[in-house]
Amino acid sequence: MSTAKRLLSGRPTKMRITSRPGEVIDRSKPVRFTWNGREKSAFEGDTIISALAASGERVFSRSFKYHRPRGILTATFHDPGCSVQVGDEPNVRGSHRLVTAGMKVTAQNVWPSLKLDVASANRAAGRFIGAGFYYKTFIKPERLWPTYEKVLQRFAPGGRVSADSPHGSYDKRYAHPDVVVAGGGPAGMAAALGAAEAGARVMLVEEEHSLGGHLRYGSETELAALAELRREVEASGAIEVLVNSAVTGRYDGNWIAILQRNLPHVTERLVKARAKVVVAAPGLIERPYVFEGNDLPGVMLSTAARRLLNLWAVAPGTRAVVLSANEEGDATAADLSDAGVHVAQVVDARRGEQVVRARGAGSLSEVELGDGSKVSCDLLVTAVGWTAPTLLLNVAGDRPVYDERAARFVPGDGLPANVLATGGIVGDGPTAALVEHGRATGRAAAERALARDGTSVTIPSLSPAPHPALYRSRTHGIVDFSEDISSKDLVSAAREGYDSVELLKRYTTATMGPAQGKLETINTVAVLAEATGRSIAETGTTVWRPPHVPVSLGALAGRVLEPVRYSPMQPWHEAHRATPIVAGQWIRPEHYGDPAREVRTVREHVGLIDVTPLGKLDLRGPDVPKLLNFLYVNKWLKLDIGSVRYGLMCGEDGVVLDDGVTGHLGEDHYLMSTTSSGADAVAHWIENWLQTTFPDWQVYMTPMTTAYASINVAGPKSRELMSRVVSDVDLSPEAFAYMQVRRGTICSVPGCVMWRIGFTGELSYELHVPAGYGLYVWESLLAAGEDLSAGVFGLEAQRIMRLEKGHLIVSQDTDGLTQGYGVGLDGLIKLDKEDFAGKQELEWQLERQGYNHLVALLPDDASVVPPEASQIVTGDRSIVGRVTSSRLSPSLGRSICLALVAPQLAETGKSVTVHLPDGTDVRAKVSEELAQFDPGGERLRA
Amino acid sequence: MRRATRAGGAPQRYSAASLFRHGLTHEDWERVWRTVEMRRSYDAVVIGAGVHGLATAYYLASNHGMGNVAVVDKGYVGGGGSGRNTAIIRSNYLTPEGVRFYDRSTRLYENLSATLNFNVMFARRGHLTLAHTDASVRTMRWRAEVNKLEGVESEVIGPDEVKELVPFMDTSTKTRYPILGALYHPPGGIIRHDAVNWGYARAADSLGVEIHQGTEVTGISTDRGRVTGVTTSRGAISAPVVVNCTAGWASLVATMAGVRLPIITHPLQAAVTEPVKMFLHAVVVSGSLHVYVSQTDRGELVFGASTDPYASYSMRGSLEFTEELATHVLELMPSISKMRVLRQWAGLCDITPDFSPIMGVTPVDGFLVDVGWGTYGFKAGPAAGEAMAELVATGKTPESIAAFDLARFEEARLVGERGAAAVGH
Repeated sequence: MSTAKRLLSGRPTKMRITSRPGEVIDRSKPVRFTWNGREKSAFEGDTIISALAASGERVFSRSFKYHRPRGILTATFHDPGCSVQVGDEPNVRGSHRLVTAGMKVTAQNVWPSLKLDVASANRAAGRFIGAGFYYKTFIKPERLWPTYEKVLQRFAPGGRVSADSPHGSYDKRYAHPDVVVAGGGPAGMAAALGAAEAGARVMLVEEEHSLGGHLRYGSETELAALAELRREVEASGAIEVLVNSAVTGRYDGNWIAILQRNLPHVTERLVKARAKVVVAAPGLIERPYVFEGNDLPGVMLSTAARRLLNLWAVAPGTRAVVLSANEEGDATAADLSDAGVHVAQVVDARRGEQVVRARGAGSLSEVELGDGSKVSCDLLVTAVGWTAPTLLLNVAGDRPVYDERAARFVPGDGLPANVLATGGIVGDGPTAALVEHGRATGRAAAERALARDGTSVTIPSLSPAPHPALYRSRTHGIVDFSEDISSKDLVSAAREGYDSVELLKRYTTATMGPAQGKLETINTVAVLAEATGRSIAETGTTVWRPPHVPVSLGALAGRVLEPVRYSPMQPWHEAHRATPIVAGQWIRPEHYGDPAREVRTVREHVGLIDVTPLGKLDLRGPDVPKLLNFLYVNKWLKLDIGSVRYGLMCGEDGVVLDDGVTGHLGEDHYLMSTTSSGADAVAHWIENWLQTTFPDWQVYMTPMTTAYASINVAGPKSRELMSRVVSDVDLSPEAFAYMQVRRGTICSVPGCVMWRIGFTGELSYELHVPAGYGLYVWESLLAAGEDLSAGVFGLEAQRIMRLEKGHLIVSQDTDGLTQGYGVGLDGLIKLDKEDFAGKQELEWQLERQGYNHLVALLPDDASVVPPEASQIVTGDRSIVGRVTSSRLSPSLGRSICLALVAPQLAETGKSVTVHLPDGTDVRAKVSEELAQFDPGGERLRA
Repeated sequence: MRRATRAGGAPQRYSAASLFRHGLTHEDWERVWRTVEMRRSYDAVVIGAGVHGLATAYYLASNHGMGNVAVVDKGYVGGGGSGRNTAIIRSNYLTPEGVRFYDRSTRLYENLSATLNFNVMFARRGHLTLAHTDASVRTMRWRAEVNKLEGVESEVIGPDEVKELVPFMDTSTKTRYPILGALYHPPGGIIRHDAVNWGYARAADSLGVEIHQGTEVTGISTDRGRVTGVTTSRGAISAPVVVNCTAGWASLVATMAGVRLPIITHPLQAAVTEPVKMFLHAVVVSGSLHVYVSQTDRGELVFGASTDPYASYSMRGSLEFTEELATHVLELMPSISKMRVLRQWAGLCDITPDFSPIMGVTPVDGFLVDVGWGTYGFKAGPAAGEAMAELVATGKTPESIAAFDLARFEEARLVGERGAAAVGH
């Protein structure tokens, strides 16, 4: 039975033909799936589109702008009209994705519907909505633009994402092959073999589901050559083959990104290969021909027709016209005949014959030729030439040049030594020539990768064959099938002044769609050249940018591996229902239910807080005092062993950077503490100074933040509690005074550091315990203090207490502009020091005056707590300051604030207007002291 | 066929009616801007045909009647940062000066389609800056309060309202960086950046300004401390005023006039996905996760991040950038893991020590700069162009840009938008 007759018989697989020698389907394994809700059948090995085409479907989507029906053009990954929705996955390449059982496939650009033909209406409208039309209308009235915008958005192409899609399973892998070969056609396979034979470990990457490139859908001789190459690759122990995988880019240092899609249970894996040498063997991409009606379903490339016929045994039509300018076109005509498709006419472009236009309602029915004759057909195959996909070479620094004779861009001569090219991208030839070139290139790649001499390798020449320059017929047609851009749009835009290839691309959006110019760039350039009267070489081409194929966000992200830091005491916090708070890298307890009660525990008894996130830097060496003296604004050259000092750090711009205490533990040995959020920044800051400015200083810095668990024991009974757990340190106020540091044993744990400081304003000890004992010491302290009413407190209670004491928090009570003077620590800054970070700026700050001051504010209404960031305003609503911290103080029973205010307001007793976020104003007075609680500091010195 | 040869004539109007007429007649549109022979002398030369240079030239001609101006560019109109940025417009800055400046720019953008008779497609989708820590909630509130007092719409909203605006956002508390709130700025949005560049170029051209693409400045001539013109790859031009609007290349160009700028150029990368149907209306920014994302009318997601950590003039993309970007975007919207990155690119940012621009006079008389815009120059284009035009025309530095003068680096008067400008977009 002929194909034509079977087509009329209406069987579900009516376009499937008898077995082809190279077919990749397994007819013994039928698979069922749905297309727009209707059940369809396929064989294992079918792509979504080959299965649908086998069942007689011809239209798979509608075009972006005019919503013209779109069928098969290339039958490859890059087929512009064959993107479909599969389940919750949008934009699936239907000509590449294999059918699996139960797959739910739907068409995605179907407005108004896949079947309804609105082509006539679109054609009528089309003349008014040429490329860039939207720049020229919807201008007035501007308030209507959002409405217009919504209409434009309805035309947006692409599938749908859904808010409840699961993240999926993604992974990454690092690889270190000697040679990566990008492309598994004959030249690529031969290159892999050549490299492996020369001793290299090779990774061979192929975009399609099996190796072979164009040999797979070629003649019997080509199939035989392919079988031999495959056998050799399989036999080689040094070639790792990744199929259904794509090299997406090459980055500096031959860092090769490969998207691997063929793994079970992993949606996609990003393989990152540091290749010594990469061989680009991507083959050639067949280019479409531009003429009226070239986007009708039924018009396709010769490679598409051969792929359908020979890989999936699908007849691309029943009655064909073949426009041929090369051997591949001739071979397609022969294959069609062989498969029982009637070839009505071969139009030989080499003899000057032409296709002028294609016609049809919904799909192709007639072709008009150059001599005016008309041939009825449902398939028009075009074979008008090739594009070399030079992305990998471009990103390695090469610029393609136009070869007039071959009518295509070819690689330039700008390749670095670790990038080689072979196969169609370099030149044309019979299989044997491609294989010979590939093998030699592979050997050369191995020689370079293994750092051998390499002079023994001679790479045979391979050059592009002459080809007629066919880009556009005498009619206008579609140039960019994804973006719906015609040659007429391009000519019109060029005449309007968008006449360089970059401007034209941006104005018309040609080449900006999913295929990223692989099908469109050369025709865009050719049409522009024609419109401007320049040559293609003069017009130039656009830059190919990575990735070569789109890469899912999931694959780029890989597994979710965001680190979180918890202190060793976290199990206790969780067991005691701590409310967590995210503090940079750390998650720590904000409170344990009632911060006010926690404050009372500390003020009246004794409380424990987990302060492990505090930055801790171990500093050793004879030059540490010089370093401290440089980093901090105050003086550090004299600090006795056993003492700690508070210090303020400023950046070179004089802006407050960090604060904390540093203790002198022993000879040439100091421990610096930083704010929790500033720990990393200060470590980098120190390292930067040591490496760039003071390389001769003997200082060794070791970040110890996570090596110690840190506990602050605060409250009037803290000494009593400490005395129960510390045996080897005299804790009496005389022996261990305020601002001193001791090393000793806590709860039998040796090697602990304890210092007496007081952020909360109470007598307190800050303990740094080897991290592994943190939880043990924490629990032991609580047990030892049970009869002292010892409790725990969280970050919130600490913040309340430090605010009662008027202690600033860097980056809360200061900001990116707050310089050293004015934050209540003016006395600390020693401008008479020889030099220190920020000194110059601080001198200028003092000279200039006019800076804001940190003051304590007491709202007139003690029950009102102005939210932090409330602005302080003048009568005319100018901003003269802001509240940086505010709380209701449980100790004082009233609201208290810190505020940064303009200098004229920084006077004791000054009344200011605080503008609350709810729009109301309240009055507040500047207090004499920053500290509202125990301003004399008697409690912490107790 | 009509070929435009106008110089200072009224431009052809764009409108639905003209679109209709052209559709019927298939008459060619007038050229968007002229291609004319470069003359030997102009009243002013602007280097750089990006939004800053073109806006400066346009306002010089439209506000001050100075049309005898050449804009020269080594590439094509809008080929640098103006065509590579992520086209986010907002005015919710931190300092009153910053808010006022960007508010002026936003207002100019709002009316720009009508002003230029070119649809720049400003979509006020709303702009969300996410807060993942209580410290950032505090900063958001600070910005909101300053914005409100300056008359700019801006408020702090909670996770539920964030979810309402962006249903795809994971606002649960189970994430590594939980969303505690956001600064919501309804007037913020996105714009078609190329259209802004072309619109300014076309409008400036119609007022007599000449745009010379493919014209590289190779030297800046001075005489006794005064600028006298430029030499280019297409010959010398004399002009009493030369304005440097070259962004990433600003310090190199200034060196030609013997002026050193405290600028370091860093690449800033961006990426775009394949289109999907509209699901993200607002512009979303996360400072903690170093990412900003919006969806264009075409359905693509456009992403940006912070600048690359090293100084470079390279505009190649890196793999690490897309990896980090994807990780952070999926942290915010885990359900879009199947969307695919289609293209990545980089632009150049001219970064100053205080993350604020340098605008105004230099030690060389007549050599003016509008540079140092770092990562946020596009949104400032109109207001900067307007102010620079005023400076060129009147010789007096407008109050709005006085704080951004070059001398501040020698006189210790740094301005700070570090908290808002350097991080968020």
